Amino acid sequence: MTGFRLPRLNRRQVPLLVVGAVVVFAFAYVLLIAQKPPATGGGNWRTTTFGSAVDDPGSFLRVFLDSITFAGALFIVASGFALIFGLMRVVNMAHGAFYLLGGYIAYEIQQAMTGQGFAIPTSQVNTWEWLVPLLVAAPCIAVVGLITQQGFLRWNQGQELRQALITIAISVIIADQIIAHFPRATSTVAQKFGGSAVSLSWPGWTDRFVNLHVAGVQYSLARFVMLGLGIAVGLALWLWLYRTKTGIVIRAGVDDQKMTSALGVNIQRTFAIAFALGSALAAFGAVVWASQANIASGQDGQWLLNSLVVVIVGGMGSIFGAAVGAILYAFVLNFSATYLPSVGSDCCTQYSIVVTFALIALVLAFRPQGLFGRPG
Amino acid sequence: MRWNALKWSPKTTIERGVGAIALVLAALGPLVFNQYWAHQILIETFLFGIAAASLIFLSAYGGMVSLAQTALFGIAGVILGNLATRGGPGGTSKGLHLGWDPTVALVIAIAMTTAIGLMFGAIAARSVGIYFLMITLTYSVITTYFLGQVTLVSGFSGIGGINQYTPGWIGDLIGHPNRLYYISLVAAVFTYVLIRYVVRTPFGITLQGVRDEPVRMSSLGYNVPLHRTLAFGFAAFLASLSGVLYVWWSGQIAPGNVDLPETINLLVIAVIGGLARIEGAWLGAFAFIIIQNYVRGFSFPFLGFGGTLFGGSFNTVIGIIFLLIVLISPGGLMGIWDRAFAARSRFGRAPPSAEAPASTGR
Amino acid sequence: MRRSGLRSWHAAALAAVGIAVGVALIGGISTSSAASQAKTVRVAIMTDCKGAFGFGYEPDIGGAEAALARYAHGKATDKKKPSAGMTGITAGGAKIKIVGYGCGNDTVPLAVTETKRLMEQAKADVMIGPLSGDEAVSVANYAKSHPKKTFIIGTAGSQDPTLQIAPKNVFRYHGDGAQWNAGTGEIAYRKLHWRKAAIIMDDYSFGWTSAAGLIADYCAMGGKITKRVFPPLNTTDYAPYIRQLPPPNSVDGYFWVVGGTGTGASLKAYEQTYGKTNPKKFVGNLFFAFLGNFSEVAPRLVGAYVGGFGTSPGLKTKAARAYEGNVARIFPGLNGGNYADGFVYNYYNAAWALVQGLNKSRGAVGAKLQSSLPRTLKPGYQVSGRGVLHLDKNRQAIQDQWPLQIVSQGGKPALTVVGFVPNVTQSFGGLFKKSSRPPGRTQPPCRKLKTPWQGKIRVVKNGVVTKGVIK
Repeated sequence: MTGFRLPRLNRRQVPLLVVGAVVVFAFAYVLLIAQKPPATGGGNWRTTTFGSAVDDPGSFLRVFLDSITFAGALFIVASGFALIFGLMRVVNMAHGAFYLLGGYIAYEIQQAMTGQGFAIPTSQVNTWEWLVPLLVAAPCIAVVGLITQQGFLRWNQGQELRQALITIAISVIIADQIIAHFPRATSTVAQKFGGSAVSLSWPGWTDRFVNLHVAGVQYSLARFVMLGLGIAVGLALWLWLYRTKTGIVIRAGVDDQKMTSALGVNIQRTFAIAFALGSALAAFGAVVWASQANIASGQDGQWLLNSLVVVIVGGMGSIFGAAVGAILYAFVLNFSATYLPSVGSDCCTQYSIVVTFALIALVLAFRPQGLFGRPG
Repeated sequence: MRWNALKWSPKTTIERGVGAIALVLAALGPLVFNQYWAHQILIETFLFGIAAASLIFLSAYGGMVSLAQTALFGIAGVILGNLATRGGPGGTSKGLHLGWDPTVALVIAIAMTTAIGLMFGAIAARSVGIYFLMITLTYSVITTYFLGQVTLVSGFSGIGGINQYTPGWIGDLIGHPNRLYYISLVAAVFTYVLIRYVVRTPFGITLQGVRDEPVRMSSLGYNVPLHRTLAFGFAAFLASLSGVLYVWWSGQIAPGNVDLPETINLLVIAVIGGLARIEGAWLGAFAFIIIQNYVRGFSFPFLGFGGTLFGGSFNTVIGIIFLLIVLISPGGLMGIWDRAFAARSRFGRAPPSAEAPASTGR
Repeated sequence: MRRSGLRSWHAAALAAVGIAVGVALIGGISTSSAASQAKTVRVAIMTDCKGAFGFGYEPDIGGAEAALARYAHGKATDKKKPSAGMTGITAGGAKIKIVGYGCGNDTVPLAVTETKRLMEQAKADVMIGPLSGDEAVSVANYAKSHPKKTFIIGTAGSQDPTLQIAPKNVFRYHGDGAQWNAGTGEIAYRKLHWRKAAIIMDDYSFGWTSAAGLIADYCAMGGKITKRVFPPLNTTDYAPYIRQLPPPNSVDGYFWVVGGTGTGASLKAYEQTYGKTNPKKFVGNLFFAFLGNFSEVAPRLVGAYVGGFGTSPGLKTKAARAYEGNVARIFPGLNGGNYADGFVYNYYNAAWALVQGLNKSRGAVGAKLQSSLPRTLKPGYQVSGRGVLHLDKNRQAIQDQWPLQIVSQGGKPALTVVGFVPNVTQSFGGLFKKSSRPPGRTQPPCRKLKTPWQGKIRVVKNGVVTKGVIK
């Protein structure tokens, strides 16, 4: 009587199983199935640049570390966006513009301190010369954010679309003004303004490799610092939200704005603080990434997109969600660029963007509010 | 009886009158306006108006503000470009170059874009309000990256020379630009009439119910996500018309046509016109294109600082205009008209227009 | 109580919109624009004012207007700001009116809009421009269907406009992106002794075209390219693409064709992966030396060889000095004093060619101008053929090229010319034909052949072309 019977699958579970199978296959592919390219060239669907994790654990570890460190930078920028959205339901489309402005201001400060006009070698930058630009740029952008919020967003709360449109308009204006007025400290007159690419430098002591003693991997200390800053920001936010009075008010406001306000809490002051902090986080992220790569006009759109993807995947309004979203996004970007089949020059790593889209589509199909978001 | 069914009130009389005059002027277009106006400004107004109308349809009748219309517009153009163009000597240098019959290519481009729109809609259908806006924005930017990076179908340079491969029954558009003028005018009128028809069908009315009271509709047994998906597919169909007209007009399509600034431009057009009324699409497109063309060489006397305004370019001016419109009248130009008429109305009645979704917090 | 009727600012807004629409309609209904009295040739200068090459706006316009001032009696409105305009320009008995400055952003859609605006609204007869490669492809496609208009390319480096598309009304008086790199690949083989190299390039047409020039020369000598990596344009994090490059101990060097905002970012990513950049293992293209990246890149790569821009900074010939002196006189300090930047030089030559063409056609435009435009020119940095540059049958320049090197001068990085490659053709001696696929990821393949200048690259020292050949 009690023979073995297959469990009946309901309609909802079939797509979930299929997705699960694909994910398991992807893991297996990267970890086991992939192969190094043959010495004579060519290859098949199993050929990737490095082979599998078993073939080349060093490369796997390096790509893994690239992903987690990039996630640190992503998290810093996206957490500001998530904070503003979670509390005030404002899609701050000017988040990218704030990022860009913060980066350029930090560049000007660092140039003023070291006085070169050329890209500064890290050996000539000390910690103070990296910290001061951060400590100046972040409050500047916090003020800009505060002015935006008080001037344009305070009086039309609840009208989400209108607020999104207002922040779009502000982002257009700020981006255009940045092109007209930055960068100012350059080596020749020719390169002044135009929003051309400039970069900050990490402090000199980060310019080393850390020997991990695993598979012979040496990894850049600067990228570890980036990860460390991301973790520090995450911890600081967690402490603030869960251990301080303002933080508790913010969490209450995220849960139920009207009730919090009805209980007599000064919700307006809380909104102002949250918006200012979220904008400052954008500037913080800009200083970090401008040190890692560079800052240039056009990156405001890129980083707005990055923040959007992180928050959509991780859940809107949740800092933990932002962290998870950042990690997922960074891993998908990095691993698809290095572990998709690589046969000849036309296949297939240029489809990494398709994999990113698949990630977003999957999350949205099963949890429209993001992995850790709250419905509605 | 039929005459009364059209609901003639003082307001609609004026509107219909103005519309009729505009239509007559448009029909005489190439004779009345100079060449630049007829072949540039007005054709652009018609085709971007169609794309904006698809956005306004979704927002006014579906309660969903979609930023993916630009992406669908671009996808239609890219598919047509890949299917219709030929490579080789004298041909275009990018894209798949399948060289199919242009009519077949046209039908497939529209059909595939509608299908992609249905897919987009299905994924996003269970999100509302600001979540929906963000998801559709992501569609738009992912499309930009896809077109930019998958060089097989587009690449950063995109595809060119598409207007050399028009269907036989249309003929040579390069030598006879007036043909494209009338085709886009007809397409714009067709879009308008189609939307007005669809919103009166049972599907359209259900959609408006879903817009207003999704929970109630769901408990009444209507499949809310399905309705939203189908509405999105219909809007994708309209956006594909706009995309096809665009590549016939400019001959080129590239990721720069669907990137973040272009997506925002379409939203600006819809907002300037008025997110609550379909007529706003063409009004907004016209206003936007005029501003873009004529603000260019302009410099504010004391505030220029070496540029147009505070050192910046005309984008600063467009941003400020947009900001002012959103601050003053979220219903756009049509909203100003609606409110002006309501204020003057003898009986103090509000006009029977859909309320701008911007004012409902959702 | 009745509501107070139309609010005053509603009325004002309606009125403003109404007036604006009315004015615009009047502007539109007028059936003709500026009537042309005595012959007026309407010229548009098309360049970029935003995007990756936005800083090229004033240098480009300044270069073109400097030629118009020197050869066509133009008077600059503002010596510090070329885009303020120029008046009094005459050539061939006709007045020349600059009817507009195009403002692109390196993308195709804006190029299309600006081209239509300049050629159809402002009714230009001639366009000098555009600036970037993809813009030029779309302009060439436009030119095909507007044969009465003439287009003299500004400084765009894509191959298609004069090879695969090549309409009869498109002219280019400078080399394309591949030509600019001629000789540099051979220098890498000979002087740096590279035998196995990897190449990283932006995944779009200019990246491919510029890389094609390096690959063609280097492989022609027998060098091998072991890996090609293609980061997409506007990548945020270059780390995964740097990982795809072979490590420095398995190749002799890297050809680095990442440009725009990615040059500095990708080099930094390399440093964080493999440590300090060794200048002997890096050969770049003009993005290392020009176009806003010099201050970021140069300090890291003092000693590295770099592909050129068709110009020879510091060349000590009469023609070079005359050119630089002309620009310095009309727009002192243009482009920070770097007149040897292709942005200035190529637009200058384009405008100069136009003036010569108008002189010959007596102010006529259209087909007459196209047949009158000179098929030779004597630009500042041409040395072969007694300083005469020729156009080939596709109206594309056969131009001398000048590979460069980043050196240290007085403690600061600077550029110097190290080689002279005579008469570089677009086809690279038959490698690129009209029927060949345009440069792409796998195009050109790495093949040993003989370029016309193989073994003939002369050494340049202190701005003088010596008799020695680079061995």
